[in-house]
Order: sequence, then structure tokens, then C-alpha cells
Amino acid sequence: MARRERVASTRRAFTARGTALGTAQPLALPVGVPGVRGPSPPGAPPPDLPPPLESLFDTAPESWLALQGVAVADLERLAQLAIGFSPRVSLEPDAVLLEVRGSFRLFGGARALCAQVLARCREAGLAPRWSLAPTPLAALALSRAGRGVAVLARDRLVGALAPLPIAVLGWPPAALARLESIGVRTLGAAQRLPRAGFARRFGPAAMADLDRLTGLCPEPRRAHVPRERFRARCDPAFEADTAAVVLREVEPLLVEFEEFLRSRQCGVDLLMLRLSHRARDAQHGRAAIPPHTQLDLRLAASEHRAAAFAALLTEHLARTVLPAPVIRLELRSGRLRPVVAGSAALWRPGEHGGGLARESPALIERLRARLGHDAVYGLCLVPQHRPEAAWRVAEPALPSASRVTATPAHPGSVRRPLWLLREPAPLPWPFTALQRLEGPERLETGWWDGLDIARDYYIACEPSGAEVWVYRERLAPHAWWLHGVFG
Amino acid sequence: MTQPSSHPTSAPGYAELHCLSSFSFLRSASQPQELAERADALGYDALALTDECSVAGVVRAHTALKGRRTRLIIGAEFRLGCGLPLVLLAADRRGYGQLCRLITRGRRAAPKGSYRLTRADVVQIIEPGHCLALWTPRPADLAVASRSAAVAADPSADPSADPSSDATAIWLRTHFPGAAWIAAELLRDGTERAHLAALTTLGAAHDLPLVAAGAVCMHLRTRRRLHDALTAIRLGTTVDAAGLALQPSGERHLRERERLARLYPPALLAATRVIAARCRFSLDELRYEYPREIVPEGRTPAEWLRELVDRGAAQRWGGAPPLRDHMPAYVRTLVEHELALIAELGYEPYFLTVHDLVAFARGRGILCQGRGSAANSAVCYCLGITEVDPSRMSMLFERFISRERNEPPDIDVDFEHERREEVIQYLYTKYGRHRAALAATVISYRPRSVLRDLGKALGFGADEVEAIATAAGRWDHGIDTVRLREAGVSGDAHKPSDAGAVRRFAQLLELSQQLLGFPRHLSQHVGGFVIARDCLEELVPVENASMADRTVIQWDKDDLDALGLLKVDVLALGMLSAIRRTLDLVSQWRTARGGAPLTLATIPPEDPAVYDMICRADTVGVFQIESRAQQAMLPRLRPRNFYDLVIEVAIVRPGPIQGDMVHPYLRRRRGEEPVDYPSEAVKAVLQRTLGVPIFQEQVMQVAIVAAGFTPGEADQLRRAMAAWKRHGGLGHFEERLLSGMRARGYDEAFSARIFGQIQGFGEYGFPESHAASFALLVYVSAWLKCHEPAAFTAALLNSQPMGFYSPSQLVRDAREHGVEVRPVDVCVSDQDCSLEPTAVHPMRGAAAGGAVADRPALRLGLRLVRGLTAAGAARVVAARAARDAATAGARTPFADLQDLAEAAALHRGDLEALAAAGACAALAGNRHQAFWQVAGTEVALPLAPPGMDRTLPLLLQPTEGEGVIADYRSLGLTLGRHPLALLRPHWPPGRAGMPPMVTAGTLAGLPDGARVRVAGLVVTRQKPATASGVTFVTLEDDTGNINLIVWKRVGEAQRAALLRSRLLEVDGRLQREGEVTHVIAERLTDRSRLLGALRVQSRDFR
Repeated sequence: MARRERVASTRRAFTARGTALGTAQPLALPVGVPGVRGPSPPGAPPPDLPPPLESLFDTAPESWLALQGVAVADLERLAQLAIGFSPRVSLEPDAVLLEVRGSFRLFGGARALCAQVLARCREAGLAPRWSLAPTPLAALALSRAGRGVAVLARDRLVGALAPLPIAVLGWPPAALARLESIGVRTLGAAQRLPRAGFARRFGPAAMADLDRLTGLCPEPRRAHVPRERFRARCDPAFEADTAAVVLREVEPLLVEFEEFLRSRQCGVDLLMLRLSHRARDAQHGRAAIPPHTQLDLRLAASEHRAAAFAALLTEHLARTVLPAPVIRLELRSGRLRPVVAGSAALWRPGEHGGGLARESPALIERLRARLGHDAVYGLCLVPQHRPEAAWRVAEPALPSASRVTATPAHPGSVRRPLWLLREPAPLPWPFTALQRLEGPERLETGWWDGLDIARDYYIACEPSGAEVWVYRERLAPHAWWLHGVFG
Repeated sequence: MTQPSSHPTSAPGYAELHCLSSFSFLRSASQPQELAERADALGYDALALTDECSVAGVVRAHTALKGRRTRLIIGAEFRLGCGLPLVLLAADRRGYGQLCRLITRGRRAAPKGSYRLTRADVVQIIEPGHCLALWTPRPADLAVASRSAAVAADPSADPSADPSSDATAIWLRTHFPGAAWIAAELLRDGTERAHLAALTTLGAAHDLPLVAAGAVCMHLRTRRRLHDALTAIRLGTTVDAAGLALQPSGERHLRERERLARLYPPALLAATRVIAARCRFSLDELRYEYPREIVPEGRTPAEWLRELVDRGAAQRWGGAPPLRDHMPAYVRTLVEHELALIAELGYEPYFLTVHDLVAFARGRGILCQGRGSAANSAVCYCLGITEVDPSRMSMLFERFISRERNEPPDIDVDFEHERREEVIQYLYTKYGRHRAALAATVISYRPRSVLRDLGKALGFGADEVEAIATAAGRWDHGIDTVRLREAGVSGDAHKPSDAGAVRRFAQLLELSQQLLGFPRHLSQHVGGFVIARDCLEELVPVENASMADRTVIQWDKDDLDALGLLKVDVLALGMLSAIRRTLDLVSQWRTARGGAPLTLATIPPEDPAVYDMICRADTVGVFQIESRAQQAMLPRLRPRNFYDLVIEVAIVRPGPIQGDMVHPYLRRRRGEEPVDYPSEAVKAVLQRTLGVPIFQEQVMQVAIVAAGFTPGEADQLRRAMAAWKRHGGLGHFEERLLSGMRARGYDEAFSARIFGQIQGFGEYGFPESHAASFALLVYVSAWLKCHEPAAFTAALLNSQPMGFYSPSQLVRDAREHGVEVRPVDVCVSDQDCSLEPTAVHPMRGAAAGGAVADRPALRLGLRLVRGLTAAGAARVVAARAARDAATAGARTPFADLQDLAEAAALHRGDLEALAAAGACAALAGNRHQAFWQVAGTEVALPLAPPGMDRTLPLLLQPTEGEGVIADYRSLGLTLGRHPLALLRPHWPPGRAGMPPMVTAGTLAGLPDGARVRVAGLVVTRQKPATASGVTFVTLEDDTGNINLIVWKRVGEAQRAALLRSRLLEVDGRLQREGEVTHVIAERLTDRSRLLGALRVQSRDFR
């Protein structure tokens, strides 16, 4: 059973919960399934947790806490938070599972641990449904049914699961409908059926699900690996007050970073360096010193070499004025991106065109580091009729890429000037002084973004002999404008 | 209507020879009629409509240009496989036929919506001289062509497909000597000077003349926005991203002649008129030629028709032909009058064609009934096309056949819906596929599709588009600006940040109004057939329909009508199937008991018991009068004879309701208002409907007798009536009507009332002939319901889906009428629902006067079991028949489920479906046990019988509620208690001050105006288009139906509860009008959650 499908069907099953004629209950029972509650609103005080179901003789080797019923977008946050309570955290499509048996002593018992987890969630603005059970699937089932209970003993598990509607297993609707056709609506009823007969009718996968539920059959979970970023800092032995010193101090961090990236076969295109100062408020006429200086290094292509980072950092530092000595350096990476390690060029840069592809990003980075990020850009053509909209600023194109993005020539091969005025200017000459060479080319378009134009363009010769691109408004008062100059 | 051209005559004459309409789907932003009218206003000599490989739009343009100065030229644009852009214009009838054949060839060779043609196809089909060719190269085409000129040196290349411009020019000159031009299309794109020069050189080099053309795709420059949007829709992108695919300017519109004069050399403009003068073909030349084989060798159609009429009359009235002794005298005059008119106009073959079809159906035992314009004539009655006796009606034959307009009559024939295909196949076999084809239906842009497509093109997000389309609603007409604003995509005009959204929304509104009604694609008509004498392809192009092996012509019904081409409508009607099945069931039942079979002819006419039932509005399942609106009318109209039924059918229509004819009629009928006539002439027309015009014919006749219209003019009025809402244009009729009536001394009030009624009629008026045909089926089905309820219900169930009510309601209604309904059972049920003898019950037999023993019970058939394959059901029935023969006397034909599975070779899916439906109760106990057993069935190996696991665990006995849920899920109905009976004890308490909930049964005892609280399953919702926003809802509880009226205000405020509830609780007030009890809803509460897994589906109607 595909997991995604299970989740969807579970959701569907629960949209119908709490009904008198519903799947969960036979017709003519009071409305509402007892114990089904929606998540309590964030910020409400933690509810009194019921005492855990324990047993003197039977204690399960594992205890899984399921946290469920938050938005999918929040699951990862929930998982992050759960790592604080157990090293074994697993991210499910609709829930977070953590194995907490080993953490009981640390947090003062099952009940206390659950209370703390929930309190922590509440602080984070999350209000998951929860339950604790000896198997992951049972914990999920209980929490999907909205039972906030802690079941510690295996022999108490069957009883706790029995009344749950079978829909909590997230089986496809067709399977649920077939079970309903023999009057089976609860996990208890399903488990009472003869095993062989059940497996024969509903498949070994369903049987295995039931077995996993009670721990008859183990169910390993994949551990959640949080998203990785590199983060390292160092406190220099003495305050660094020049760029060179800062650079020297940051060098080991970069080497460490390169190791980190290499081991993961990753690169980054964003590197952040935060230089902390001894903060000082403005006083006695002296300007305030900000608590830190932030340097963001953006790279034109994914990079992992310490040397490259150092070179770039040098440029940045050269442009940066440190307001005060640095007392701490902190290096953080942007999101890791997988890199395919490039092979070394056979030719040296410049030789037979070799190496250009690798060199030009570095040049662009260097130029940008010196002139500012926005000062270096490329241009590209946009297939639009309106001259204003027919080009735009683009990332500087790499030589190899530019060939691909080359736009086809304008149809009809009408001429376009190389120099386009940023804004059309009123014609500096009387239009009678112009000698029209070509035209008109009529452009009426662009209504959809509110910049509708209706113009007749001409290529004309202005009095001094230069070829210019002018147009006449089609609407009254039919003004003449200069829009471009041919080379 | 020719309006004087506002253009100075000094401008040179011009004919536009290259013009696309909206029938080049998504490539043009103007409708054919818009283009035609604009061309005429601009003073063009002619307009060639040249849609891409299509003539689908020409009839509309032809109609629009009728009586105007501008002539229409028929042509088409093609892009051949080699890339050659070509426009072909039909010079004469032969050329037109060739054009149609070429289009057919191209369309049939490619999937629906595209075409594929080569130069070879053109050479093969088009004869030079009959079609004129324009080569329409764009500058880009020339560039490509000249580049490939170098490649053309390759000797291995096919010379005929050489795309170089020189080769093309030579090809054109060779195959179209003296009939080929190079079209210079100068579009102000800055290249026209160079382009013209290039073309001139090319033309001079190859001796091909140049001609001006405009590559028109909009009638006005202002349509460029719509054109851009259409381009984006076509490319599946947004206008912003469509880029260079958009037109750079709006230059491709119909340009004023002065502008053209400034742009083109005079010789090129003059050439357009030369070409226009050579294109002499007009669609008026298409005369319908009837198929020959309908008349026996050596007879004329007139003789043959007369003979058939005589034979038919002999059957109807007795006597030997040609004496027609027993025919009433005035019918005889009528027949003679009609035959004379038919003969005068030469329509005999048409009547013969329809008669042939009907005779075929009769021979096969397929019920059919003619209706529509000419059906209810004395001739058609004699021919057996209709059963409506002319002596029971007053007919206006001129309504259908008039001397003035040269149009064939129109007869629609309804056939049993499941057997219509046989008739269609007969048509194809008899006439051949090259001669018979289905008419097209032009699928047009509706509010929802307009908003969805434009929304995407204008760059609204997917969610927004969905919200916009939803706001269009399934029930709403037109585009409701207010509701669109509610969709939350309009932006806030006061917020500068919303400026973009506000603008886009305004654009959406503007363009959607223009796009509404544009054709989207051609689909096939439900049953309108065209039959040609020779080759259909030379009359109109034929293209592939989306259904495999079906073809469709490029014109729709209206187009055929406008050209006066014959079409026969072969329609499907579910009620005919149901009636035939009822007759079969009853006949079988009766003959088995020594009775006589029941046929249509033996159903007694004018049975008072039937009319009593109708007056009680006890009409669930009866044809036409079963809808809520009809049921509400029945106790007020109280029909007592056949003609009352005709009126009933016609009066509950949007036309009479909007024309305010219902209430005056009812008042007069009840004697609350005097019946008066302004003149004797009008009295003769309106007497049968108490002075209130109810039928279309009456309106026309009033126009004739009171305003001096000729019958032909009256028919034009009818057409205008049908279309004025869409096109406007009742204007000059109003003037003509009012002045005509004034001149004849009618007072203003009467004239104004008549005109108001005509307007109200709009397109929804019902012709009397239609109403009469329908009324006949109403009477027959009502009689069957009244006297043979079990058979009638069985037949309705076997004919599903059809009608207004679901199987659940039909069964319920039957049980309320004392029919014993028995569950589906594998040991007894047939595939269809059937009749079974009831055990004679001494008590009940005595109480009902001993007749009960003879009444059949209704056994539900296996066809109701959801998930059971038809083949599986058939095998169950067959296996049982075999067993019955062998083991007569056994309690059940099958020993157990295993036995059933083996005997009928059922696979697990079928077995499960049967078990879930409770159909195996006799073999396996309750549903749970049955299902457990069959669920374990292994798929049978070829030799071994299917294995079944016989261990039976302890399963819970199904509760009553589970049974009900399972019944609904598997059968769509239950024979157990109504769900509401089970839910009632658990109903959430009402608010303080509300009266306790009452049932449908107790409503009847409450006083008018009482406050009530009711609840029930929502079984139907009906929102008639004209009931000013009122929604009729029918609720069903355990005691009966509750008729709910939801006024517009309440419905809009509580839209979600109204539209989504499956189980609805209503606070409201009781309203009693005579015997009709309604609940006027005030507060609606959706209680669907209580139903949980119970699946009930409301049937929603307009």
C-alpha cells in the first residue's frame, strides 16, 4: 500500500468521523465517537494526561510516541523539536514518531516525558494529537483516532486498540468497504477473525499491518536526518582588527568547511560570514557600533573549494570597513547542493579556449565583489513585440549557456536599434526635419499589463545624419517620440 | 436591411478575399456574421470567408449578407504539408463541390480538429477554372522558400513538393492556369515595401498576377485584445508569455477602403474585384436533391405518397383505398389540402423518407413517435408517423410548410432510446456512408468555459481560475459580475497594490462578454441526419467525429435549415423504451393467464380514473408531468381530457410563464375571469385556449389574422422570437405588428399584451404539435401507471437512467400504491426487474374485492446490483434455468455459494457484488456471512473449480442501519425502513422556540401558515430557468415526500446548505394552495453528517 495513498484515505475516513451512520459506528448510536477531539488550540494549558497503561509483568522493549495532526508544512519543525527528546525520530507522511523508551529516566517517566514534549510543542505553536504505544503503527493508529493515551505494556495494547475504527490504518477505501461488508469496523473485530481466512481475503499486506500493530512482526523505521547546514565559529585569541587578520582566522574554518562539503559531495552557492563586535550604543558623540557585520557571499555557481571561498572573501573584505575589532567569527553555509566534481582542464586557461567555462564565473564573482552584486548583469532578449518589454536584465550568462538561450531573430527581420532609450524621449527635432527611411511598422499590443501601446515606428535619418528609431502615437495628439539610435 | 454606406464612393472598390472567422477555432476574434455585416458597412463588393480547411461558418455569413450589397464568396484557407499557404475560392457549383471534397479529404486523413493535405491532393481534386487559387506567402515563407531554393538543386527531391518560391509559382501556374494569384498581404509591419517588391518580382518572373488581400482575423481593430487572448488559449499559455505568437498590431481587421487605397497599388485592388466577379457561386444554388430509392420504379413521388396515405387511411378508418369511406369529411379535405401543398412544393420525397424510417422501426417492433413541425399533419397521421388524431386537434399546416419560404418541413422522430442505434444503422446501410451523415452541433463557449479559458490566458492562478469558474455556477445564466466579485479575484480598487488584479479582472469581464457564444469545436448532433442523393461530400465537407467510425458534416441544424436542406431527426426517448417494456410485461402476464395482449392501440382513451390520478398530482414516473413544476400545476389545471393534457404540457414552459399566460388561463378556466375576444377572427384562433395564446402557432396565427402578416412573415416572426434574446431584432416586427393591429381596429392594450406575450415566448414556446405528441405519451404512461403499476415500475427501472426520479423513489412510489416489491435474489431474480405472482392472501384478497390475487408483485432484477457485470448476471440466470430443469422441486436451485459460483462460473468480483447486495441471503444467511464466504473465493484455475474457504467465523449480525447503508450502496434503494426512521431518535435537539419536527405524513393535517420543522433526504433539486431564482427541493422522509420552495433570497443566503446537503433540516412555514402543500423554507440546516456512510444522490435539474 503506497504510503501517500494511506494518508489520503485516512484523511477521508476522518472527515466523516462523528456520525451516527458513519463507518465507525453502527446506525442508531448516539452522535459522535467518544474520545475524538480535534487538536486543542495552541497556547492552551497542557491537558492533564491520563495515567499510562502499564503492567507489572509485561513491558515492551520500545515505546513510540506519535505526534500527529499538524499541517504537513510543520512536520519537519515538529521532527526537529522531537530530536531534543530522542535520537530515534522518524518522519511519517502525516506524523512524527519518536522512540522514547530510553528517554523515560531522563525526563522522569513516560507521563512526564509526554507532558514535556507537548509543552515544548505548544511553545512552538503546534498542537499535535499524540499517543504512546509499544509499536509505531499502534501509536499512529491511536493518535489518528485522537486517543491521547500512553500504552506501555504490550498486553494492554490489544485492549486499547480494539475499539478503534479500522480506518485509522489508512487502508484504501475499497478494502475498508469490503471489511464493512462482513461487519468489521474496528481493529478488535478484525483481529478476532481467523488469521488464515483474513490473509486469504484481504491479502498478506493487510495481515502484516495487523501484526505490526501489536508487535507480532517488527517494523523498522527510517531515522529522520535533519536538513544539513554547515555552521562553525571561532573566537580569535585577540581581537581581529584588519581584513588580513580576519582572513587568517577564517581560513581554518574554510578548510573545515571544504572537508565537510567533500564528505557530502556537496557545494554551496551562498556562504555567510558574521563578524561579531563588541557592541556599543551611541554615546558621547560617538557613533553606535552595530553588534556585528554580516558578509553574504553569493556564488555564480556551486562551489566547494576553500581557496575559492578565500579568494572571494578577500575581495569582499577589501570593500568592507570594519566598524570595530572582531571578537568572534561565525561561518554558516546556505543550503547544500550536490556537485559533480569537474575534471581538470587539459589546456591552461586561455589556451585553445580551454578552461574558459570555469574561469568566467570566477571573473564575474570577482567583478561583482568589487563593483557590487547588482552592478554586473547580463542582458537577454524577450520574445515580445513591445520594444520596452523585448529585453530584460539577466544573470550574466555563462558562455556555454548563452548559445542555448539565443532568441530567434524577430520575424520579418525588421531592424531594431542597438541603443534603446530607457524611456522614449520627445523628438528633439521637428519631425519635418527627419528623413523617413523605413516604416511604418505598426505596434499595437501590451494591453494585458496596463502598458498598451499603439505606435507607428519609423527608421529615420536625423539632421546630422544618424539613423534613429522614432515613432508616432496612433492616438491623438499623435505625438512624435525618439526611442532608439542605430549604431 | 441595407444601410447606406458612410464611405465616399471615391474610394476604390474592394473585395476581401482572405478572411478567417471564429470557425477557424481560436484563430479569429470575430464571428462570421460580424465580419459579413462589417464588410457590408465598409462597402466591400464581396467578402470571401476562408476559414482554415472549413466552411463551417459560411451559412451564418450567407444569412447575414442576404439582401445586402456585399456578396459572399465561399472559400477556405489551407496550409499544405509542404508548407504552402493557399486560399481556394469556389467559382461555381462544381468548384464548391471540389472544395468540399478537398476539405473532406484533408479532415478525414487526420485526427479530429486537424487536417492533412498535399499538393497531390489539390491537383487530384481541384479542377482549374472551377476554383481560384490565391497564394498567400508571408515574408517568412518567402525567406524559407528562397533558402531552400539552393537545396532544390538536389535532383532526388520530389519536384512537386519543392517549397522554393519559384517552384511554387511554377506549380501554381501549371495547375491553375489563369486562375492563380499571388496575394499581397500588407500589414504595416515595416516590411511591406520590401515584401511587395519581392512579390512583384516573383509575379513578373512567373507571369502570376498580384492581388490585394488582408489576412483578416477580426472585423474591428478593437478585437485585437480578444485575438491575443485567443492566441494564448490556443497555445495553452498566457498573453504575457505568448510573446511573438501574438499579432504585433490590430492590422488584420477589415480595413476601410481609403486606407487600402493608400497602401496598395490600384491594380492590386482592382484585381480583387476581378476575382470576386469570377466567383459566381452562391449557397442559394444548393438545392436539396432527395434520394431516389424511396419511390418504387415507375412511380412518381406524388403518386406513391398518395397511395401510402390511402393505405394508411384505410387502416385508420377502415374502408378500401382509394375510397377512404370512413374518413371524416373534414379530414379528407385536410389531407387533400396538405397533399396539394406538398405537391406544389415538391416535398413528397421528404415525407416518404420519414415514412420509410418509421416503417422500418414498426417492422422491428421499435416504438416511435413523430413530433416537431410537420409531424402532426393529417398526412403524417395516415402515414403512421404520429398517433395524434387530426380530428382531435386544430392544425396549422402552413406553420410547417409555407409557400413563401422555400424550406422543407421538419419532422423529428423519437425512438426507444436503447434501440435507436438500429435505426441509425439502417440509415447507413440503406443510403451508404457517403450519402448519410450526422449534422454537427456547434459547441460554443459557455460562461464557465469562457471564464476558465480566459482566466488562464490572462494569467490568473490555477486556484483563482477554479474560483472564477465555480462562481459561474452550474445553474447560472450569463456571467454574473456580482458573483465573480465574490470569488475574491477582483482586487480592491482602492489599494494601489491591487492595481494589477483590478485591471486583469476588468479585462476578464470585457473579454468574456465578447467571447461568450464563440464556437469552440464541432460535435455531433444527437440525431439529425442529412441524406444526399449523390455524394454528400460535394454538398458539405464531412469530418471525423470524436466517436470512432462516426463522421459529422460541417454544418449544424440551423445552417441546414437556413439553406433549406433536408434533415431527419432520429432521436432517442427513454419513455418510449419504458412504455414498450411495460406493454411487453403486461402482455406476457396477461397471455400467460389467458388474456389478450396489451398494445398502444388497445389502451382505452379518456379513462376518468387516469385523469383523477393526474389531478391528484400522483404522477411519479409519468412522462413530462412528473417534474415538481408540473406537479404543482396539475391540481390547479385539473386536466380532464386529452386536450387539457396538451395544454398542461405546453403551459409549464418558460415561454408561457414569462409571457404571463399561465395565470390568466387558470383564472379563465376556473371561471374567475370572463373569456373575451377582441374579434371573431381572433376568437377562432384562441378559443381552444380560452383567449390566451399558449402555443407558438397561435401567436403566429394571431399575427396573421389580427395584424395582416402572411404565413411566411409569421414564420419569420417565429424565428425572430426564438432568437431575439440572443441577437435582438424584434424591433421591426413590433412596429409591423402594432401598426397592423391598429389598422384592423384592435385596441392598444390588446396589441401590447400580444406583443408582450410574443416576447415572453422567446425561444421557449412550445408548438402545439410537439405538445400533442408529448401529451399522447403522457396519457399512455399515466394509464399504465394507474392500471399496471408493477409492470410500469419494472419497465422504468429497466430503462434507467431516465426521468426525474431515482430508482429508490420509483420503488417507494410503487409500494405506496400497493405493489409488493421483492428483493434481489440470486435464486429468483432475472437480469431485469420482472413480475411474479403474489401469493393469494385471504384477508387482503377479501378486502380488495378478490382482485389482489391477480396483481403481480415486482421482483427487483440483478441489473440493480452495483458492481455486478452484465455477463455475470446473464450467467446466473442461465445457470438457474439449467438447474430448474434438472432439480425441479428443490428449495433453492443452488446448494450453496460454492455451487452458485461453479454453476455460473462467477469470479470473485461478481460474487462479492451479489453478496454485498444481499442477493445471496437464501444461500448463505446474512450479508456478513455471505460476503465472508465469497471474499475467500480464489480465482478459478482452468480445470479446478473455484476454491472456497468454508470456515465461518463468528461475525456480527448486521444491524438494521448497516443493512440500510449496504442496500443504498449496492442497489441505490432499500426495502427496509427509511433511514430517517432510524435517525429520528438521535436527532439533535432544535433551537428553543422551534416547533417539534413533523413528518411528511402529518403535514397534510396542519393549517396553512403553520410554522413547521421538517427533515428528509434531498432527492431532487430543480431550479427552473424562469422561476426567478426559486429552487424547488423535494425531501423524502419515512412517511412521504415534502415539497420545499426556497425563494431566491433564502437560497442565496444559504447557498451551501441548499446545494450540498444530502440530509436537510428545514424551518419554515406551511403553505397550502388547494390540494398542494408546500413548505416555504426559511432556515436550512445541513444534517448530512448524520448520514455518515449512507450514499444518497440528489437529482438536480434546471
